[in-house]
Amino acid sequence: MPSVTPGYAPDLEKYLKSLKGQPLEASVENLTSLLKRRQIRGSEPCAVATAHILLQVVAKSKWQDVDGLLDNVCATGRRLVEAQPKELVVANIVRRVLALIRDEAAEDRNEPSSETQSETQMTPTDPVSHQWPLPTYTKQDSAGDCISNTPAAPPPSRPGPVPSYSSVNVPKSLFHLLSASPPSDGSAMMTSPFRNSGTSTPTSKVPPYSQVHALRSEVIDGIEEIKDEISQVDDQIAALAEVQIHPGDHVLVHQPSPTVERFILRAALKRKFTVLVATEAPRKQTEGIQNAAFRKRLSGAGITVINIKNSGLTAYMSRVDKVILGARSVVANGGVVTDSGAAAIARAAKEQGNAVIVLAGMYKLSPENPFDEQSLIEWGDSSTFVSFADGPMVNGVEIRSAVTELVPPELIDTYITNLGTHSRDHLSSLIADHYKQEDAEFHLWSAIDR
Amino acid sequence: VLPPMVKEVRPKVPECFSHLSMARRIAITQADKDVNPVVLALGQHMSTFAITDSITRLEATLLAFKKVIDSYTTPHGATFSRHFTSHVLNPQIEYLTACRPMCFSMGNAIRWLKLQISKIDIDLPDSDAKKLLCQSIDNFIHERITLADFVIVKTAADMIEDDEVVLTYTHHHLVERALLQAREAGKQFKVILVDDPYERVGIEHAKRLAAAGIPVTYASDLGALRTNLQEATLVLTAAEAMFSNGAMYARAGTSDIAALATDMGLRVVALCESINFTERVSIDSLTYNEIDPERNTDEGFRLLFDTTRDKFISVVVTELGNTSAKSVPAILRKLEEL
Repeated sequence: MPSVTPGYAPDLEKYLKSLKGQPLEASVENLTSLLKRRQIRGSEPCAVATAHILLQVVAKSKWQDVDGLLDNVCATGRRLVEAQPKELVVANIVRRVLALIRDEAAEDRNEPSSETQSETQMTPTDPVSHQWPLPTYTKQDSAGDCISNTPAAPPPSRPGPVPSYSSVNVPKSLFHLLSASPPSDGSAMMTSPFRNSGTSTPTSKVPPYSQVHALRSEVIDGIEEIKDEISQVDDQIAALAEVQIHPGDHVLVHQPSPTVERFILRAALKRKFTVLVATEAPRKQTEGIQNAAFRKRLSGAGITVINIKNSGLTAYMSRVDKVILGARSVVANGGVVTDSGAAAIARAAKEQGNAVIVLAGMYKLSPENPFDEQSLIEWGDSSTFVSFADGPMVNGVEIRSAVTELVPPELIDTYITNLGTHSRDHLSSLIADHYKQEDAEFHLWSAIDR
Repeated sequence: VLPPMVKEVRPKVPECFSHLSMARRIAITQADKDVNPVVLALGQHMSTFAITDSITRLEATLLAFKKVIDSYTTPHGATFSRHFTSHVLNPQIEYLTACRPMCFSMGNAIRWLKLQISKIDIDLPDSDAKKLLCQSIDNFIHERITLADFVIVKTAADMIEDDEVVLTYTHHHLVERALLQAREAGKQFKVILVDDPYERVGIEHAKRLAAAGIPVTYASDLGALRTNLQEATLVLTAAEAMFSNGAMYARAGTSDIAALATDMGLRVVALCESINFTERVSIDSLTYNEIDPERNTDEGFRLLFDTTRDKFISVVVTELGNTSAKSVPAILRKLEEL
């Protein structure tokens, strides 16, 4: 794929800007083609785009009850996953939103809801120019209303306990981690009791549209929190850098992602160590420049940076103390999908007994388990080193050039997410905290099944 | 932290690798006046990596030394065996070493050559002594290089069965010859060629194999190595040297492939002439190594070799037969007796 020239080709930023004035269907269509064309690529941009589009789905699509909303989110999610099945974070975000909705729904089931009534009352709403019925209870709806009018904008004021939780941004999982309270909490759970008490006392039968409305605003708040979480991941992971990197260490990083760069730079504030950067042979011009900026900042901090131009790194392992890898995604068994070449590095580190540390935001942790490792490998283009004019090479030789690959779980010692440092065995409980079992394979359901 | 260097011509090697040696380009004018023109040219070839692998360097060195011997006349009042080594041969060796650190085979051969020179009868006339020496150098090249390669290539080619999928790394002439010979023998097999992305010597290799009718898959780097190895049935590598603890000294990246291949239960075959065996021991890759002279700074750094432990090598093919990596010291002892 030719490198995208900035300024003309669409990218995440342009896409997010385009969301505002566009009908939902057009936005979804636009995103699927951007994903297919790899104009939005990399786990963070994909996750952000997915969160934004799902927010649109919740806000703009037509639905009368929880099942309807789940169907809509599923349908859109499925299209995105089909567009780019190798970006596991897309499915992760969809699952997170589905879980969010289910939590809300579980809460709402405390109240008797009449489906028939809701259908008759909730006549199809125009996705573009929609006016929600006026709120029955003001506080919640001021936020919800605002979001449904200008969906991409964050709510100006959050109701009740939400703001306090937004600072820690994954209320649900953090709550699980930090307090051993029963798993019936989370943002939705925390906010809804107030609403329930407020709504159920005056009238025994809640007007369904207000229920829908409340659900909508709750889910939108939840998605906003997921977006906040994604944006804060790098910072939170970097906060753990000092613990991992010690003075005098020789730290090896492979094609440092922004997350890894941030991590190293944070450690550089307090520690003196040496960084060995294993760059992949340049495929694109941009890569060298990115690394140069990183190196300059490190050198400025007094850190020695050595740029290694080798493909196999066994030779360096007796000098290296730890290897830090950024992840594109982490699969359920602890395998890490990352830039190609990392598996060989991890293997070499293992041989020497060096620690291999993987940095990944929580949103990259996927409940999927690959039954076929090769399905996660992304093959890249070879035109940078084999010219099409080279007849014998083009005709006679099959050329392979992997862009991503799976690092087997047994080669990895530690996982660092925005929630802390974890062992491989702990990943399954993190998955259980963040996703619902029933959503694990949402992308395989067909529309008829539901 | 390195102070800013303004005047220094050559940027500094990162401190943690500063113990390793590196080839240097030496201007011909700077060389010792005693250095023979043939050796001067050879030194330039070596420092620019026009001649890279151990055996080619060895052969070229021995041939150059033959020229040095030819052009030598013993000065009055000295004898060949006492004068030649210290006054003529040593400056040549020093110059070559300065151009690029000697490989282990060169060290072995030079030790052998010096022994031959010292054995020459002091009463033997110059012309006869020179003839004798040149003759033994020719024999040495024939036995230890030409015939050795012939035997190794044949053994390796015989190892390749029909339907085999051979994975190899970049390019080595022994591996290439073995593959081509197996193909000539009518074997039907495939080759997966993994290349080094910083030095794509594998592309030409792949083309030559493909031209011979071998189906070739070219993998641009060590990415997705596991997937490539899953398809392979045999890993064929060639060593730059073998240490006496059974470790293999070979192009950087070989060890990564050998380790993963062993994990996956594949045979790892190392081809190596016995002249490359050294009595030295290395357990990591930073004991003996060489820095790429083109990339030797913080901005870009590259090691040329790595060390593969004996547990990742199934068999070492030498001209004396197939052995396990563990029996390298046994072979070394046997060679001493010869």
